[in-house]
Amino acid sequence: MKIAVCVKHAVDEAELKIGPGGSPLLAGAAGKMSTFDKNAVEEGLRLKAAHQGEVVVFMVGGTESKKTLKEALAMGADRGVLVTADTVAIDALRTATMLAAAMKRSGRFDVVICSEGASDTYTGQVPPMVGELLGIPYVGYARKIEIDGKAAKIERSLEDSVESVEAAVPFATSVVSEINDPRYPTLIQIMQASKKPVEELNGEEIAPAGSRRGVEVLSMSSQPTARKHVMIDGSPDEAAAKLLDALSKEGVLK
Amino acid sequence: MSGQVWVYSESEPVANEVATAAAAVAQGASAEVRMVDIGSVRPATRGSGGRLLLKGPAGHEVSPAVAAEALARAAKDLAPLAVLLGATRDGREVASRLAAKLGIGCMAEVAGLASDGQGMTGERNVFAGKVVAKVRCQFPAVATVKVGAYPKAAAQPGESQEKDVGPVSDQTKTVGREKKPAGAVDLRSAKVIVSAGRGVKKKEDLAILAELATAMRGALGCSRPLSADLGWLPEEHHIGLTGVTVKPDLYLAVGISGQLQHVAGMKDSKVVASINTDKDAPIFQASDYGIVGDLYQVIPALERALAARR
Repeated sequence: MKIAVCVKHAVDEAELKIGPGGSPLLAGAAGKMSTFDKNAVEEGLRLKAAHQGEVVVFMVGGTESKKTLKEALAMGADRGVLVTADTVAIDALRTATMLAAAMKRSGRFDVVICSEGASDTYTGQVPPMVGELLGIPYVGYARKIEIDGKAAKIERSLEDSVESVEAAVPFATSVVSEINDPRYPTLIQIMQASKKPVEELNGEEIAPAGSRRGVEVLSMSSQPTARKHVMIDGSPDEAAAKLLDALSKEGVLK
Repeated sequence: MSGQVWVYSESEPVANEVATAAAAVAQGASAEVRMVDIGSVRPATRGSGGRLLLKGPAGHEVSPAVAAEALARAAKDLAPLAVLLGATRDGREVASRLAAKLGIGCMAEVAGLASDGQGMTGERNVFAGKVVAKVRCQFPAVATVKVGAYPKAAAQPGESQEKDVGPVSDQTKTVGREKKPAGAVDLRSAKVIVSAGRGVKKKEDLAILAELATAMRGALGCSRPLSADLGWLPEEHHIGLTGVTVKPDLYLAVGISGQLQHVAGMKDSKVVASINTDKDAPIFQASDYGIVGDLYQVIPALERALAARR
């Protein structure tokens, strides 16, 4: 079974600093593998363990993003494909177009796995777009994937319901974080990851952008919700009474 | 003929919210709103503007794949300026697939929509809600509208239009559907939410938080570790970026450290109060009122104080 997993080198939102004018300082901001992508890699490895084959990790990013690819390889993926592009200036459709083009060059995959959304931008658009561009069935928000030969059965976790969906291999999917517990690579695996092959493709060469502009970011600003930050002290009973007084005054205690 | 802004959601209430957003875009673009139905007209009254029925796909159950294909076929012929959908999980899939089929941009989970006549702008949360990004897309464009960001449009009469898009096949088959427990539904409409985090030492202790929630006529929520890692509560109770987004009058965070992913799901709450043993816990930065203390002492004290007042 040939398994493709898409990962993103995301901005580490916890480490992101805000400049004096309220704009996020994105230049040189710390990055990490998008949180939920670990579940996507894990699911790829789980399917490989059950069905043999190989797990290939695809990523669109700059050279600084290679550590995310390495992390996926350390978890157990067999090889990586880095599509180089300036990720700040592109939208989801552009990213998906480059991922799909890179996958087509690497041959036909039986299963394409993404996470439900990136932990930094969380549009959730790339996975269905990749499925669409590859022309294969797509089933998103999977919390369980079972494959028997050419038939797959997937549980889709929606807001208020769970759907059971049948699809034929090949198919693409996005996974929710409940689907598994991602493994931590061992020190030996981390060292071995550097020896695994990583192919570099130029995004503009494999999928020219043309004149399409897509979604543009006009501005970004930090808008923290104004909170009172009142710390209440005293014994538990005193603090409880003071809190209830404050909440009554706010009119939020029914 | 003036341009059209289409509204589609698999959910009737969400469609009526999206209709309000669409009216703002239509006004800026001197366009008309069309509420789109696929396969069959829904019986309920619909939000502002006229209607457009896409005939061809059969039955009442329309999967994201079928909806995207029907909308794409109709859009190729009728050339709407914009197609707006609800940012539900299904809605995100329909919008993404539609944008990919048409090769146009798709703004995700936006609010504050407006149009300058040539394109549309909107605002969305990025970096787990730490930053708001203003985004723009040239017409024609697709967007998903943040759920709960707009009031529902009142029903208005309007012109009805039909378009036959032909039969649409689905590569996948939905063979079952089960309702999730009511947790998420209760949380979205709750006025008071008591929410549990890792500070709760064992599953059985959730009972005291549930009791407090009941005493406050509220609902019980949790941070991600409790549902995803420990499995103490069903995932429908998980409040956060990938869970439920809530905006109660009162959000009481108990033993929750306050990771950005959690705050992203509750930052629109009117008043936030927190109880945590760690005075440096980030949750206090996202709170109006904070008590540094042991929840096992403070929660019973709160229950006693509440009982004394009633």
